[in-house]
Amino acid sequence: MSQVGTRVGSAAETAQAVRLVDCDVHAQATEAMLAGYLSPGARRMLERYGRRTPRITEWYPRARHAGMRDDAWPAKPGHIWGSDPELTREQLLDEFDVDYAVLEVLSGQDCYDHPDFAAEWNSAVNEWQLDEWLSFDSRFRGTIAVAHEYPELAVAEIERRARDERFVAVLLPASAAEQLGNPKYWPIYEAATAFGRPMAFHTGGYVDHRGAGYPSFYLEYHVGNGIVMQSQLASMVAGGMFDAVPGLRVVLTECGVAWAAALRWSLDAAWELTREDHPRLQRKPSEYIDEHVWFTTQPIEEPDDPQHLVYAIEQARLGDRLLFATDYPHWDFDSPKQALPRALGAELRRAIMCENALALYGLPREREG
Amino acid sequence: MDAIDCDVHCAPASYDALFPYLSEYWRQYISEAGIRLNGLAHAYPRGVAAPAPSSYEALASGVLDGEAESRFVIMNCLTGFETHRNPYFAAAVASAINDWMREEMLARNDRVRASLVVSTASTDDAVAEIERVGDDPRFVQVLLPVRSDLPWGHKTNHPIFAAARDAGFQVGLHAWGRAGKAPTPSGFTTTYLEDYVGNQPIAQAQVLSFVSEGVFERFPDLRVVVSECGFAWLAPLLWRFDKDWKGVWREVPWLKRRPSEYVRDHFRFTTAPAHLPADPVALDHLLEMMDAPGLLAYASDYPHQHGDGLSLLLDRLSDADCRRVMCENAAALYGLGE
Repeated sequence: MSQVGTRVGSAAETAQAVRLVDCDVHAQATEAMLAGYLSPGARRMLERYGRRTPRITEWYPRARHAGMRDDAWPAKPGHIWGSDPELTREQLLDEFDVDYAVLEVLSGQDCYDHPDFAAEWNSAVNEWQLDEWLSFDSRFRGTIAVAHEYPELAVAEIERRARDERFVAVLLPASAAEQLGNPKYWPIYEAATAFGRPMAFHTGGYVDHRGAGYPSFYLEYHVGNGIVMQSQLASMVAGGMFDAVPGLRVVLTECGVAWAAALRWSLDAAWELTREDHPRLQRKPSEYIDEHVWFTTQPIEEPDDPQHLVYAIEQARLGDRLLFATDYPHWDFDSPKQALPRALGAELRRAIMCENALALYGLPREREG
Repeated sequence: MDAIDCDVHCAPASYDALFPYLSEYWRQYISEAGIRLNGLAHAYPRGVAAPAPSSYEALASGVLDGEAESRFVIMNCLTGFETHRNPYFAAAVASAINDWMREEMLARNDRVRASLVVSTASTDDAVAEIERVGDDPRFVQVLLPVRSDLPWGHKTNHPIFAAARDAGFQVGLHAWGRAGKAPTPSGFTTTYLEDYVGNQPIAQAQVLSFVSEGVFERFPDLRVVVSECGFAWLAPLLWRFDKDWKGVWREVPWLKRRPSEYVRDHFRFTTAPAHLPADPVALDHLLEMMDAPGLLAYASDYPHQHGDGLSLLLDRLSDADCRRVMCENAAALYGLGE
C-alpha cells in the first residue's frame, strides 16, 4: 500500500490522467473521535447527556450488518464502518483505482442540537475530515458539514473552510426542518456559491415529514428516499431559490436519477396551468433544473431492459449531469466495474465516471500517480 | 368510441344538502359551530378549478350530455377529504355523502356509478360504512385520499380491504386529503404548485406501502385505482423498488414475486393528469417503459383541467390500445358493460 509522503519523483513525471471520480463516499466519525475537537463544556454535555437524535436505524432496522457492507467493519478497536481511512483506501481507492473520492460525513445532519453544540459538532466533523482523511491521502476530497438549521452559523463555517480547496462542496441533508427551497436556507446557498462550491444534498436527515404517513419497513423507507428528493426538487424550483442565487449548483445525492424526467414534465405542466401562483418563477421549471441540478448515480435504477435507463437519462437531459458514486461502505454499494450498463455507451459512461465531476468540482484532470 | 370515465367529481354545495341524511345531533353540531364546506379550496382553488357538480342537472349538462358516448361515469366525491379530526363526525359525514349521492345522482341515471366514501379517521367506521352500503351495485369502489396519517397498506387498514373484498369493491386512491399537517414528504409547502405536484410523490409512497405490506398476497383480487396523481413516474419507481427488494427481501418474506409484478397486476392509474413530454420519441419511450396500455384507465377529472396530456397520449397509442385505455381496462376493473 502506498503511503503519503513516501512517493518518489515529481508530480510532472508521475502525473496520470483522472478516470474515476466517486462522488459519494461515507466517512463516519464516532462520538469519541469527535469529542476531542469539542470545547470542554460541549464535551461534558456530550458525555453526560449524549445526542438525543432518534436514529433512523432504530425506526427501520436494516436487513443485515446495520446496512453496511459486512467487510467494511474494521477490526481495529474503537472503529466503525467508514471511520478508518486506511480501510477505505484499501477497499475503495486502491481496489478500483478511484482518482478522487468525495466524502460525505453524515455525522452532523440533524435538527435536534442546540445551535452552540451544532456549530461545534459540525466544525469538529470538518477538522476530523482534514486531520484523518484529507491529509491522509490526496485522493480524498471533503464536503463542508454545517449546522444547517442555523444558517448564520453555517455560513461562518463555510467561510472558515472554503479557503481549503480540498473541500469541494457544502453538505446538507435531503430533509430538514423546512423544505430545502425555503428562504431560510438561502444564506447557506449564497455562501457556497460565493466560494464556488456546489451544494450537495444527501439522502437522510429529518424524517418526520410524511405526506403519506410513516411506512412500516426499511424497504419502503429506502425506496422512499427517492420520493423525498422529488418533493425537495419541486420545493427548490417553486420556492424561487435558483433565481435568488443565480450561480447555485446543487447535487442531489443518493436518491436515484430516473425519476427526474417525470418530475420535469409534471412541474412544467403545472407551472403552465398555475402561473399566478408563482409569479416569481420567470422560466419553466425544467430550465432551472437543466441549469442548476446534478445527480449522483448510486443507487441507480435498474430496469430489466438497460436501454430503458438510456431513455430515462435522455428524457431528463442528464447526460452531462450524472456523477458516478459508489456509496461505499453501504450495503447497496455500486461497483465502478459493474454499476453502469453498457447500453449507456462508452462516451456517456466516461462522462458519468469522470468528466461531469471534474467540470462540476473543478478538480485537476491529472493527479500524482 | 365507448368510454368509461373513471374520475368525475361531484360535491354537495353546502352542508344543507347533507342535512336530510344527518341526525339532529349533527345538524345542530354543524349549525351551531357555523362550519361550512370549503370545496377543498386548498386542492381546487377558485382561480384554476370550477366547482364540482352539486346536482344531477349540473352533472348531466357538464358531463353526461357532453360525452354522449360515455357508457359510464364514476363519480368521486372528495367532500369528506376536508379535514376534521372528530372521528364520529367523519363517519356521519361519509354516510351522509353516500346517501346524498344515491338520491341526487345514482337514482337519476343508470350510466352513473360512484365511489363509496368512508371515514379516514376510524377503520371500524370505514368497515361499517362499506357493510351498510356495500350491497348497492351502483358503488364500484371504496374511495381513499392519497394523503394519509398512515400509509394505506399498513395492517391497521386491512379490515377496510377485507370489507371491500367482501362487497366486491376495488379501492380508489385519489389525490389530496389530510391538509392539516405537512402535506409532502419534504415538509411544509409555500406554493400551490408544490401541493399539486406533491400528490405524485405521495402516491408513489402509497404504491410502496400496498406492496410491501403484502396487501395483495392477503387480498389477491383487490385492485387499486390511483386517480389524479399522474403515472409517468411509475417505471423508474418500480426499477428502484425491484432493485432494493432484491437486497432486503428478508424484511418482507411474504412477497412471493418482485414488487413490480404486484403493481402491474393490482394497480391502475387514471389518465388525468397526464403530464407528458411533447417530444413523441420521449413519449413513446415512456409508454414502452411502463407498459402503459395495460395500466391506464381514462378519466376526464371533470371539472378540473390538467392540460392536453390525454390527447398526446392517445395520439401515440394504437386503436386497440386506445380502446383498452378508454374503456376496456375500466370495464374489467369494475365489471361494467358486460
